[in-house]
Amino acid sequence: MKNNKISLTLLIALVGATVFFTGCSDEDDPTPKATASTEQKLSFHLHTMVGNTAAAYGVDFQDAGGRKFNLGDFQYYISNIVLIKSNGSELPLSGKVVLANPARRAYELGIVPVGNYNGFKFILGLDSITNHGDPTLYNADHPLAIQSPGVHWTWNSGYIFMKVEGFVDTTLAANGPADLEYFYHVGMDAQKRLIDFSTSAFTVTSGLDYEIGLEFDLLEILHNVDMRTENETHTFNNLPLAVKIADNWQGAFSIE
Amino acid sequence: MLPLKNIFSKRILNEAALTRRGDFRLNVVLMFMLLSLASSCKKDMPMEDPGSAIIELNIPKGFPYPLIPADNQPTQNRIDLGKKLFFDPILSRDNTISCSSCHHTDKKFTDGLQFSTGIDNNQTTRNSMTILNTAYQPYLFWDGGVPSLEQQVLAPIESHLEMDFDVNQVVNRLINHAEYPQLFQNAYQQGPSVYTLTRAIACYERTLFTGKSRYDEYVYENNTSALSQSEINGMNLFMGERGECFHCHGEYNFTDYNFKNNGLYLNYADSGRARITLRQVDVGKFKVPSLRNVEFTAPYMHDGSLATLEEVIDHYSNGGEAHPNKSGLIQPINLTNQEKQDLLNFLKALSDQ
Repeated sequence: MKNNKISLTLLIALVGATVFFTGCSDEDDPTPKATASTEQKLSFHLHTMVGNTAAAYGVDFQDAGGRKFNLGDFQYYISNIVLIKSNGSELPLSGKVVLANPARRAYELGIVPVGNYNGFKFILGLDSITNHGDPTLYNADHPLAIQSPGVHWTWNSGYIFMKVEGFVDTTLAANGPADLEYFYHVGMDAQKRLIDFSTSAFTVTSGLDYEIGLEFDLLEILHNVDMRTENETHTFNNLPLAVKIADNWQGAFSIE
Repeated sequence: MLPLKNIFSKRILNEAALTRRGDFRLNVVLMFMLLSLASSCKKDMPMEDPGSAIIELNIPKGFPYPLIPADNQPTQNRIDLGKKLFFDPILSRDNTISCSSCHHTDKKFTDGLQFSTGIDNNQTTRNSMTILNTAYQPYLFWDGGVPSLEQQVLAPIESHLEMDFDVNQVVNRLINHAEYPQLFQNAYQQGPSVYTLTRAIACYERTLFTGKSRYDEYVYENNTSALSQSEINGMNLFMGERGECFHCHGEYNFTDYNFKNNGLYLNYADSGRARITLRQVDVGKFKVPSLRNVEFTAPYMHDGSLATLEEVIDHYSNGGEAHPNKSGLIQPINLTNQEKQDLLNFLKALSDQ
């Protein structure tokens, strides 16, 4: 009997507490969820390539001159994604940051209105505010959290926008094994690049989630880079090489 | 809110123990307690642990109270946890190097070496700076590359030349440790994470201040006999327009935290601040270090290239190399031997007693 009474009161108290707890959240009503017919999920489908082959870790590839190299790590940041609507207005996917790697292709970007779009654009890298934010504030599963392997320069509090590393054959005749470590760590504010697909029209149709298919080709990223002699940059210690690589990014992307 | 809730919880225990029938009162109390919890809107409400109370740091006389991030105000639990981590080699890949390996308590939190030494006897390229008074540093390292003490914690852990580890793996070690999870819980009401790890060490480091020097006694306690005549002469040289030391090494911590090229080299192997800004005008600029306890923090300069204070004084007396970025304040002033001795004596009067 007593136990029942306590349980009942507990229940009432818990209901009361729940009401109070709910009251603690933001006052504003969440915007009502639109029905599936007016909004759809948008994703990037990113193919990281080495020429005509899908990039992968630990296998030998050849650069434009037939030189062997492999990939130990390959990661890059995409941020400040903006969709351009058919009336020319811009729809920024605010706060969305993608940390891409060859092992993964689908990256969900958010829910967007159905309709015609003239195109899209994004930054390869990060804006300076995000770049110099405190990485310890993000939950471990966030793209801006400290990663393993790392893509944050802890000594200068900024992110590596694109990290490519592995081993390369540095023999003059390009006939040896890929055995010398190379690394391209490109970052620091000035190296971010706007990747512009503002005239690559697409349509998001009611009832169908949409994927923007993109290819990012490492051979194009390394266009005019001689991997035999130009095989190291932490950006600060070899700025010309970092800039050369960053300048290649737009040309390395193509619509799939 | 907190004391009220505690009273209620005590009453519940008492009443539950004493009565079998006072159900109604018990229920009302119970409901009140839940409601009071609910209305507080705080998940991390500390319970009765006195170690969770925010405490005031003990600041040296003449020093301002430092700015401390709102999410990392000092509590005894946090300071104790940070101290334990600071001295624990668990942070390094092979469990051999702790923060204290390069910041010894008996060397005013420096290591006495030209370059700090990491795991596998790796030599870094810079001299270990003291972390006393680090609560006032607006940015960390010789090149100011990191804007907060919390973020600074990441750098030596991940540096290949220092602890050569991955901070996420440090967190895994801490999560699986016999004691740390509870200590983190007590300090931050959550378990080990990159966030709490960096907060705890920073919280401890912010409690490390210099002590009272004879200079402080002279200035803040008006004890005119605290300094000898030679030291006073040295002080006047230091603070005057002939020596001009005070322009950069001014105020309570004897630094303006600015970046200066002091003409140490014509060609710098380490570009210093330019490593962060990529600007030519910043080549060879390094953060002005504090001079408190400078007697005990040899060797000197960013690369530990000057072994003694006498060498440092000679460098400034001669005016250094004609690097294009050299501070205009550094010119040959050809100090006499007596002036050099006075200056040296004054610098030693900045030592904690």
